[in-house]
Amino acid sequence: MAQLSTIPQRGGGPQPQQAAARMKFYVDAKRCIECGGCEVACKNENNVPPGIARIRVVTINEGEPGETNIAVPCMQCSKAPCVAVCPVDALYHRPDGIVALNKETCIGCGYCLYACPFGAPQFPKGTAFGARGVMDKCTYCAGGPEVAFSERERRLYGSNRIAEGKLPMCASVCSTKALVAGDAEEVAKVVRQRVAARGAGGGAWGWDTAYGRGS
Amino acid sequence: MAGLANVFGYGAMTNHQNDIRNSRSIMIIGMNPAENHPISMQHILTAKENNRAVVISVDPRFTKTSAFANKYVRLRSGTDVAFIYGLINIILAKGWEDKKFLAERTYDLEGLKKEVAKYDLKTAADITGVPEADIEWVARAMAENRPGTVIWAMGGTQHNHGTGVVRTYCHLQMVLGNMGRPGGGCDVFRGHDSIQGVTDVGGGPETLPGYYGIGESAWQHFSKVWDVPYDWLVSRFKDKKMMEKPGFTVARWYEGVLMDPKELGQDVNLKAVMFWGHSTNSMSQMDRVKKALEKVELIVDVDPFVTNTAVLPDRKDGIYLLPAATNYEQWNTSTNTNRDLQWRDRVVPPIFEARTDLAIMIDLAERLGFRKEFIHYAKGDWKGVPASIKGVKELPEQTIEDVLREINFGCLSIGYNGQTPERLKRQVQWAHVFDINTKKAVGGPVDGEHWGLPWPCWSDKHPGTPILYRNDIPVSQGGCGFRATWGPKAPDGSVLLAGKGSAPPGGPKEGYPAEKDYARDLTQEPMKNALSEGRSPYGNGRARFNSWNIADPVPTHREPIHSPRPELIVKWPTYDDVKEHYRVPQLYKSLQKPDWVKRYPLILTTGRVVEMEGGGAAERNSWWLVELNPEVYVEMHPKVAADNGLRHGDWCWIESPEDLDGRSSRVWVKVKITKRVGPDTIFMPYHWGGMFEGKSLMNKFPEGTVPYSIGESANTITNYGYDRVTQMQETKTGLCRISKPKQS
Repeated sequence: MAQLSTIPQRGGGPQPQQAAARMKFYVDAKRCIECGGCEVACKNENNVPPGIARIRVVTINEGEPGETNIAVPCMQCSKAPCVAVCPVDALYHRPDGIVALNKETCIGCGYCLYACPFGAPQFPKGTAFGARGVMDKCTYCAGGPEVAFSERERRLYGSNRIAEGKLPMCASVCSTKALVAGDAEEVAKVVRQRVAARGAGGGAWGWDTAYGRGS
Repeated sequence: MAGLANVFGYGAMTNHQNDIRNSRSIMIIGMNPAENHPISMQHILTAKENNRAVVISVDPRFTKTSAFANKYVRLRSGTDVAFIYGLINIILAKGWEDKKFLAERTYDLEGLKKEVAKYDLKTAADITGVPEADIEWVARAMAENRPGTVIWAMGGTQHNHGTGVVRTYCHLQMVLGNMGRPGGGCDVFRGHDSIQGVTDVGGGPETLPGYYGIGESAWQHFSKVWDVPYDWLVSRFKDKKMMEKPGFTVARWYEGVLMDPKELGQDVNLKAVMFWGHSTNSMSQMDRVKKALEKVELIVDVDPFVTNTAVLPDRKDGIYLLPAATNYEQWNTSTNTNRDLQWRDRVVPPIFEARTDLAIMIDLAERLGFRKEFIHYAKGDWKGVPASIKGVKELPEQTIEDVLREINFGCLSIGYNGQTPERLKRQVQWAHVFDINTKKAVGGPVDGEHWGLPWPCWSDKHPGTPILYRNDIPVSQGGCGFRATWGPKAPDGSVLLAGKGSAPPGGPKEGYPAEKDYARDLTQEPMKNALSEGRSPYGNGRARFNSWNIADPVPTHREPIHSPRPELIVKWPTYDDVKEHYRVPQLYKSLQKPDWVKRYPLILTTGRVVEMEGGGAAERNSWWLVELNPEVYVEMHPKVAADNGLRHGDWCWIESPEDLDGRSSRVWVKVKITKRVGPDTIFMPYHWGGMFEGKSLMNKFPEGTVPYSIGESANTITNYGYDRVTQMQETKTGLCRISKPKQS
C-alpha cells in the first residue's frame, strides 16, 4: 500500500519522474463491438454537451476483414503529454493516477489538444474565430477539484463515481467487457488472463492469415 | 418458432446465451448479435478465447459480427436451405454424422437424405454464391469442433419459406448430434424485450396462452382457468366458427381493411385497429398500411411515445394516443429468449400522464362491461384492484403477482407453473450465487435452481430447464427428451417415440408418450405423477426431419418471390398462390416474375442498427442515441455508387417493384458507401419514420413531440412476400433500383 508505483522498473537507479500507476483504462480491441453503450452511458451520466465525446468508439476497416473497433476515453497516461504542455497547470495528476482538469484555471490555449495522441481534450464552446472556451474531457467519472457531489462539481465536471467507490460509467456498462477500468494491477491481471487464453499460434487470431488457411 | 416447434416440439431457443461459452463452434447465420444482442457477444467472444471456438458468420453483409468471425461467408439472401443442405451433404458423405443420435432420437433421416441429395456442392455453390471450398470448410469446421451451436434470427425467418429455413438449421444440428447438450443447440435469438413472454401467453392470432390453439378444447381449458362460462366466451364472438378461426396477423392486418370482404376470410372489413406497443414502420408494404390507416374508423395507439402510426395516415381525426408507462414504471415479469422468467421491480411510478398497461386494460374492461371477468380467475379476484379504475395510473405489486399466478395456473402445456412470484423474487435477491456458465445456483435457498427457472418448470420445486431435450440428466434436474407432440406413430407407421436406451435417467429407459391430460388437468396430478416416476410430462419422442403437417414436409430451397436469379425460378420456385391464410389471400407464384430483376436489379435487404430498436420511436427521442446515428441511409457498394454517379452523402431515390398497387414505392435517402454489402445488394435500416416518399411528416406530430430524428421508413419499399406457415414478411430479400434525381 505504501508503494507508489506498481509498474515494475527495469534495473535499479533513480526512478523517473512519473505518476503513480494506479487508475487505468484498458481497451481490448479484440472485444469492442462498437455497441455505443459506453458513449451513451457517459453522455447521460455526465450530461456531456452535444458534439463532445468524452469517450468515442473509433472503427477502422469498416465493412472489410480486419474491421476493428476501439473505444477511446482519456487514457489517463502515466506520463501525460497534456499535463506536460499545459502552461497554467490546469491539468495535473491526482495521487491515484487520474489525470484531472481544473476548468477554472484553463485558459483555452489548446496546447493539450495538440499534445494528446488520443483526442481526449475537446472544446465545447469553441467559436469560429479561434476562441476555444474551456477544455472538457473524460474525468474517469471522478468529478473535479470541487467538493465531492456538490452542485458545482456536477455542473462543471459531471458525475463523481470514484468518490462513491464505483468505476467509470463506460466500463461499468461495456457489453463485452472490452473496456476494463480500475487499479492498474487488477487491470493487468485481466489483460494477462486474456492474452494467456488467446495465446499465440493455433487458434489465435491471425493464424489463418499467416498460414493461409480459410479466411 | 413454428419451425422449431414442428421439428422438436417447442418453438423456442433450445439452449441459452450463457451456454455459448461451452461451444467449440458457433455458426451465426442470418443474425448480427454485435448489433442486436451486444451482451451476447460477451459469451460468444469468451468461447472464442477460452475454447478456441470457431466463429462462422454467414450473412449477405459483412456485419459488425462478421468482423469477429474466423470465417465469413457471404451468402445470397434467402439461400440458406441450399447452403445448409450443402453442408449436410458433405457431412453425410464423410460419415461425420452422429449415427447413434440419429437412430435413437430422430424420424425420417431417409426423407432428409432424399432431399439433400439434390444439393451437391456445385448446385449449392451456384444457388448461394458461396465458393465450394467455403462450404467444405464450414462443414469440416463444425464437424471437427463439437459441440457447436447455430445462432439465427430474422435473417433466417423473414423469407417466403422461412419456416423451412429454420427447420434446416435444426436438421443440421440433429445430423451433427449437437442437440440436447451444453454448447450445442438451436439458438434463435428473439429480438424484443419479453417477446418470448408475449408469444408464450398467447400473443398470436392462432392461439390462446400457452400455445393451446383456439379450438374448442383450448377455449374449454381457459374457460376453466378464467372461471367464466364457456357459453359466455362464445357469446363474445360472432359465432363459434369465427371464435375458432385464426385471425389476422401483424404482417397483413391492413388487407382486412383494404380488400373486398369477398376475398377475405370474414364477411366484413376491419373497422378499428389498436396498436399496443407496436410500430407500423416495422411492417412491410407500409404504403398499404398507410392506406388502411386512412380507411379505418378508429385508430388507437398505446405507447410511451408518439409513433409513426400517429403521423403516417392523412386523416383529420379518429386517432387516439394513450400514453403508456414504460417497463421501468411498473412491476412486471418478463420471459427472455433463453426462456428465463424474471421479476422486475418498478423503478419510478408512472410519470406525466402515463398509465401502466394493466391499468389501461382494466379501464377498457370496465367500460366495455367485463371488468368482473377480467380481474378474476379460478383462484379468485386479483388482489389490489381498486373498486373503480377511473384515473388510476398503476396497480400495486400484489396485482402483478396475481397475474403471474394466473399464468402459472393455466399454462401447463409449456411448464409455466413452477415460476411463482415468490421463487422469481427470491432469485433476484440471490442473483450473485448463479454460475455464469451453467446458470445454476450454488448454495443458499436457491441451491440447484437455474436462473430464470426456464420453462418448462414442472413444479414449484423444479429447477427449470436451461437446455431443452437434454436426456443425460434426470427430469427433476431439467432433463427431457424431444416432445412427443405427434403421438407414438407417424402417418407412415414409423415409431415417433425415442429409441431404447435414450431417455433421461431415473425413469423408463426408452421412449414414452405424453402424460395424459398433463396440460389440461388443473390439479396438476398427471404432471406430479409423471415427475414422481422420473418421466417428462410431455413424453419422450423423436425430432422430425419430416414435418408432414406443414408446407414442404422436408424443407426445400425456394427462390425469393422477387428473385435476382430468374433462371433458378424454374427449378426452385416459390409456392402456389394460397386462397386464404390468416383471413387473407396470399400470392406467391403469380408474383414471382422473372423480369422483376430486369427493372429492379439490386437486392434489397433490411435490418437493424445497434442504436435503435423496432420502429425507433423511443430511440429517436433520445438525444444521445440520435447523436450516434443521426439519420437514415442506405448502404451501397462503391461500385454500385460509382455506376450510378453517386458519392458518399449524396441523396437518391430507392424504388421498389409495383406488386399489388401498380405503382412503384420509393424512399428519399442518403448514400453511405461501404463494402459491408456486396455489389448486388442495398441495405437499409428499418427504424426510421416521420417521412414518406420524400415528404416530411414533421408537422403532423403533436406540439413538442417531434423526435430528434425523422427519416424515410425502409418498409415503404420492402416488397410483397410472406412465409407460407407463419405469414412472416419476406423483408430480408426483395428487389429495388436506384433513381438519381436529374440535375436541375
